[in-house]
Amino acid sequence: MINRLKILLRGDPAEIGQWLEESNLRWAAICTLVVLVGSGLYGFTVGLWRAPLQAFYTAIKFPLLIFLTCGGNVLLNGILAQVLGSGLSARQTSLAVLMSFALTSLILAALSPVSLFVLYNTPPLASQATLLGHSVILLAHVFFIACAGVIANHRLYRLLEKVSPSRAIARQVLGGWLGGNFLLGTQLAWVLRPFIGSPGLAIEFLRQDPLRGNFYEAVFRALRHLLFPT
Amino acid sequence: MPPSYGPLQVLEILLKHPGRIIHELHGARPDRLALWLLVFALVGMAIYGVVVGSLTGGSQLWIAPAKLALGTLFSVLICLPSLYIFSCLGGSEARLESIAGALVAAICLSALLLLGFAPVAWIFSQSTDSIAFLGGLHLLFWLIGLFFGLRLMGAMSRFRGEAGRGHLRTWRLIFILVCLQMTTTLRPIIGRSDHFLPQEKKFFLTHWVESLGGKANGK
Repeated sequence: MINRLKILLRGDPAEIGQWLEESNLRWAAICTLVVLVGSGLYGFTVGLWRAPLQAFYTAIKFPLLIFLTCGGNVLLNGILAQVLGSGLSARQTSLAVLMSFALTSLILAALSPVSLFVLYNTPPLASQATLLGHSVILLAHVFFIACAGVIANHRLYRLLEKVSPSRAIARQVLGGWLGGNFLLGTQLAWVLRPFIGSPGLAIEFLRQDPLRGNFYEAVFRALRHLLFPT
Repeated sequence: MPPSYGPLQVLEILLKHPGRIIHELHGARPDRLALWLLVFALVGMAIYGVVVGSLTGGSQLWIAPAKLALGTLFSVLICLPSLYIFSCLGGSEARLESIAGALVAAICLSALLLLGFAPVAWIFSQSTDSIAFLGGLHLLFWLIGLFFGLRLMGAMSRFRGEAGRGHLRTWRLIFILVCLQMTTTLRPIIGRSDHFLPQEKKFFLTHWVESLGGKANGK
């Protein structure tokens, strides 16, 4: 298992491409475990600034977000892979996406000590600089998650390049998957909010009205407030 | 440590022929050599810490060395997991011991260079009272030392056959930020305080701006 994870980190497309051909579910189960532990550990550090209870909730919700995004897009990703001519089946597509998330989780788990160090240096919730603390935590996690996401997707692209008939198809398939995962993932993150926990709001597993509104409306409203304050 | 090398020889080889140290760290038993390098790094940092603490004297003569050595150790521990993962992402097949050895060799080289700067820093600490000026000077010396340390890490990365340099560059940025923040987390290192550790959480840029503006004068 450790050897496979090392190979996954090194990103050798020839070797990883062979794993997609395996019919047993052992490797998929290992990736699931890595996502559960790695992103759960990182999620714990995300919520810890607000309160230990929020940390516990976020440790559950972070892997949950990944699994729901993977699960919700199984069909779409599989169809896109076949329609665009990559030659990957729905099962292989799901495994490739799951491996990409497992890689993201490994990187985030490795950054957890740094995340804890940021947390130690952030003004606490009870201080006068609460908003500064919230912003710093938010920006630090955006940076960490973006780093991990970019690396993992680059690896996924290299794998797709290896198994697809052409680079153009690999790019199209990755673009399709990213678009679908982004659309569903951002909305699921909205539904599963809070992750960090707003200073002025209560600690909850889910907000009282989780399905009300959507991520894009919230971004639009925030931009409108920023550009047209009146 | 390889049986043929004495402790002082290890330091000499690190300065003159770092390739040998790189080779030894990727051999069968890198742990002993890595441990010695870590000890040298911490002792070197502590000695430089005496020079840092000499500005205010008194209890700062032991507090500054302790904080510099502990801060270095904590920075290494915080950043080692990400270094290992980022090295693997770069294509390295090295073991954790070898990666840890590479990191402590880099820190040891930085500490050696700081020791070289110590007389210069001491002269300045005896002739000025400006904490902001001395802070800037120590920071400059530390950055020069770190440049050579990280350059050694780059050579080790090439030795391991890592294909991409982007991962190591990203990690370097994280490591530098952690080290800079550590100086604020453990403040005051140069100045005097009633407490061993600060009561208020601050980011290093905020602390620097306040120090330059005189708000944190004497801290």
